Amino acid sequence: MFDISIAESGEILLAGRFDASKVETAKSVFQTVSTSRVVDFKDLEYISSAGLSVLLEAQKRLGESSQKLKLKNMNKHIRDVFRYAGFDLIFEIE
Amino acid sequence: MQKTFKRAMHSLDEVFDFIGEFMKAHAVDQSASYSINLAVEELFTNMVKYNPGNANDISITIQKNKDDLKVTLVDTEVEPFDVANTAEVDVTKSLEERKAGGLGIHLIKKMVDRLEYEHNNRQSRITLIKHLE
Repeated sequence: MFDISIAESGEILLAGRFDASKVETAKSVFQTVSTSRVVDFKDLEYISSAGLSVLLEAQKRLGESSQKLKLKNMNKHIRDVFRYAGFDLIFEIE
Repeated sequence: MQKTFKRAMHSLDEVFDFIGEFMKAHAVDQSASYSINLAVEELFTNMVKYNPGNANDISITIQKNKDDLKVTLVDTEVEPFDVANTAEVDVTKSLEERKAGGLGIHLIKKMVDRLEYEHNNRQSRITLIKHLE
């Protein structure tokens, strides 16, 4: 199961397992975003390199207009994946 | 435990179910389980992406030894691509310099203890070893 939605507050909520078969679903939501947003990982159990690529593309596109994604509530395993990928250097992680 | 899977992205749910069932049956900790899920996903999706015309199924075998997990992926009728000897990825680049993609093998090398590759008679065999705590 994977779910992505935008809360009333504007936060992007991720839930379940973000694997390579969920890339198009996630992209369709990130592509609608044009201003800085918080992405809440509270209910996300798993992410692989495919999910990282979606986030990187969004961060690069937003960066062109000085906007950015800020990430929060990652579980330990996902935090490790971000660190191994060096994504802790290009995303602000709460 | 061994199973074959159709060469398609939509097989991933079935692959994860297979791994999940094994991990549960052997009470493997979450950290090792996450690493194996990720490593298998990255290798399996590469096999799907880089050999789309190949109709052969992909075989995955998992076994638990005393102190480690061993996972083997076998793909047939394929050209060699040594996943164990790929170029290092520079993960210190700035956002502007980073490009999407190319991180899968890098993450596997960080998350498992051994990654081995063999290619014989147009068959590639990739073996992962993850030590258990």
